[in-house]
Amino acid sequence: MTVAPAQNVARSIRHRVLRRTQDQAKLERAVLVMHDVTKEYPNGKIALRDVDLVIPEGAFVFLVGPSGAGKSTLIKLLIRDEVATRGEVVLDGQDVARLGRRQVPRMRRKIGIIFQDFKLLPSKSVYENVAFALEVTGVPRRQIRPAVERVLALVGLTAQSSQKPSQLSGGEQQRTAIARALVHDPRLIIADEPTGNLDPLISWEILQLLLRINELGVTVMMATHNAEVVTALRKRVVALEEGRIIRDEIGGAYHRED
Amino acid sequence: MITFVLFSIKRAWQGFWRNAVMSLAATATMVLMLLLLAGFWIIQTGLLAGLQFTEQKVQVEASLQPNTTDTQVQALQVQLRAMPEVAAVAYVSREAALVRFRESMAAQGREDLTRYLDANPLYASLEVQLTDPTHVRIVGDALRADPTVRNVYNIEDLVDRVLTITSILRTAGTVVLLIVGVIALFIIINTIRLAVLARAEEIEVMRLVGASDAFIRWPFVFEGAFVGFLGSVVTLAILAAVADPLSAFMADFFRVLPLQFGSLTRDLVTLIMGAGVGLGILGSWLSVRTYLIR
Repeated sequence: MTVAPAQNVARSIRHRVLRRTQDQAKLERAVLVMHDVTKEYPNGKIALRDVDLVIPEGAFVFLVGPSGAGKSTLIKLLIRDEVATRGEVVLDGQDVARLGRRQVPRMRRKIGIIFQDFKLLPSKSVYENVAFALEVTGVPRRQIRPAVERVLALVGLTAQSSQKPSQLSGGEQQRTAIARALVHDPRLIIADEPTGNLDPLISWEILQLLLRINELGVTVMMATHNAEVVTALRKRVVALEEGRIIRDEIGGAYHRED
Repeated sequence: MITFVLFSIKRAWQGFWRNAVMSLAATATMVLMLLLLAGFWIIQTGLLAGLQFTEQKVQVEASLQPNTTDTQVQALQVQLRAMPEVAAVAYVSREAALVRFRESMAAQGREDLTRYLDANPLYASLEVQLTDPTHVRIVGDALRADPTVRNVYNIEDLVDRVLTITSILRTAGTVVLLIVGVIALFIIINTIRLAVLARAEEIEVMRLVGASDAFIRWPFVFEGAFVGFLGSVVTLAILAAVADPLSAFMADFFRVLPLQFGSLTRDLVTLIMGAGVGLGILGSWLSVRTYLIR
């Protein structure tokens, strides 16, 4: 994968890193705190039970577990697509349950989210797909072009910027989605099975990109089924089963049982 | 704020053309429904004009005693004109009645039998126009009470029947128009809902990247208004194209009806534009709302 130099990104990230080393308190600051979170759906199904989770700034966390273990519900709580039945979800110092209707969109801009099925708009080009995230959040026009060019350079898609998603490979489509997730300069990247639709080689490529983004200072949480990747990387692994966290260890392995 | 409005309008325009097939389908449905609505409205207006015209034709005729003097006729006319129920009074002398009779015979191509008579057999009469056909009984009774009146033609029962029929037709017309209006409303809203549904993906992405409700809603509302506006313009163009031949046909068919499209135009433009743009906005608003409330 070729990645064009992105000096702007590097500068802004370096700035963030410097600030962190200067201020010990901020180093310890958590991007996400979940405390005693339970989510029960109206149909009576309990998707999460008493979940406690702290993700410090700059971390890279795998979220693993069989289908139906509660991974999707956990992500929905973070982006406030759902609200916890009990407990607190605190994102970047804000209790998401207490946000008003108008504050929810602002909170979502602090999160970049990536899906298995990319969710790109087929009628828009790569550039337009990324710019769309800024346009619909009211970012002034003159700031859009430099911001989009910056993230496209970061994910290595500058040359493909005028192509439509249908002209791209799966890996390139996912990189477009990552660029779109990054363009708001988020505090947290949530990747929900980002490699689910990709072959192993391309999956590694995407993972390398997420790791690089993490090295630049962005917190990453990746939900995955890919045991090979999880085991090889020796990062923090949070395992969910039947709505409970059954394991939370750094350098953990993941053995698929489902 | 201006940036936001411009953004919304730009996005609405792009949205319309990016989903051209869906947008044009919605516009076509809008045109059909508006034409249906306009058609029924024109028929209803024509019907009402016809009924009103028929009702205006109602007049009370009273023949006068042969020995009535001019002074007595004058006095009776003054008395009648003073009544609030009376719109106009016309005196038809015996000579005028004879002329009128001969003309009507000639018009029907029948032989004029009066030329075999030595004297004019007809009576002088008063023709009383009413402000409202329901007053026929009051005016009839007033005439009967006057000694110079020989006879009042009894049209009360006929008038009653005509009034019953016209009131039924009025109510039925209004009900049909309302039903057509409601059907048009549902079909238009549903079509716009489909057009919005086709963009569910886009709305989902907007929510995920943190677009505020206003940024999601307004482009769709403008797009709905645009569909409504375009539909109205096409509908009015079609109506304008058929108005002249239709008007000629109507005048030819009904003959007596004082129905003019000129007087209809302003009301019709208001109705079509209002219904089109209003329903477009309402439809989009309701459709997008489904996605925003979570």
